[in-house]
Amino acid sequence: MSDHDLDQAIHAPARLRIMVTLASLPDGDDLSFTRLQDLIGLTPGNLITHLRKLEDTGYITTHKNGAGVTGRTSVALTLGGRAALERYTAMLRELLDSAGPPVTGTRT
Amino acid sequence: MSDEADTRNVPESAEAVGMDAQGAAAIMQQAGARASTELRIRRPVLFVTWGLAVLIGYGAMWLSVRGQHPFKGPAGPTLLLALLLLMIAAIITAQIVDRAASGVGGRSEVQRGIFVLALLAGYAALLIEKIALVGAGVSRPIQVVLGVTAPMLVVGLVFVATSASTTGLNWPRLALGIWLLAVAAGASWAGPVTVLAVCALAGGGGVLLMAAIEPKLPRP
Repeated sequence: MSDHDLDQAIHAPARLRIMVTLASLPDGDDLSFTRLQDLIGLTPGNLITHLRKLEDTGYITTHKNGAGVTGRTSVALTLGGRAALERYTAMLRELLDSAGPPVTGTRT
Repeated sequence: MSDEADTRNVPESAEAVGMDAQGAAAIMQQAGARASTELRIRRPVLFVTWGLAVLIGYGAMWLSVRGQHPFKGPAGPTLLLALLLLMIAAIITAQIVDRAASGVGGRSEVQRGIFVLALLAGYAALLIEKIALVGAGVSRPIQVVLGVTAPMLVVGLVFVATSASTTGLNWPRLALGIWLLAVAAGASWAGPVTVLAVCALAGGGGVLLMAAIEPKLPRP
């Protein structure tokens, strides 16, 4: 098993940060685009690009309330996304166990 | 998305650079720690704030009624002090919750709304009941016993009723709710003077104790 076996939709620094951040919320919660951007530290354009990729794989959903400047976009992890992150974490743990010190667990 | 003006496709060159397993683990740890710090409501701080408010507020009132003959009730300045402490605690609570919950929607938002609504409805009902009792000529000692224990009963009930959620049981909230109900019910037997001391020490002290215990209890 190698790094290439990891889910490539998640295995990118920005997308991994997005997934872990959203997974820290309980099921049924979502996060506003601006708060997510603040936590991840990406430009809006970059964040949108990564969110679209994750949305295309079905790992997250985005929902827009309202329109124009008052509109609020919220982002949430899907059940499939949470399961994918758990699989990714387990595989990463196996990779690290076979190579060196174990990965510290994250709340998924 | 809310920032549609900036929808250009940014090349993923920076992201496409190979990330090894160790790097991924480090990112997961950092992102998880940051999300946990930023998005979690700092309950121990809230418990300390409210514990001190109850301890000092009720404690000051008890000092003012200790040895009163005949019983007239807490002195005006101590009532003002309690009101001031209540306002300070409410402001600190609002700031802490707002800092953590800003941008977080969904079920948690609904649960927070129900929690606040239940507390406000409970206090409104208590206020109306107290006005009715005063109007009916209820004695000052009974007014004090009810005025001290009834708000604690409301908080205890709301804590117990909102301790269960879809993500599990909020043990600190459930335990504190049951404790406050027990303190309020038990203190009612202590009379109009001692009720203040019991609620200050057992109520405020219990909340302060929870500040120390809560980080060690299982999370939902």
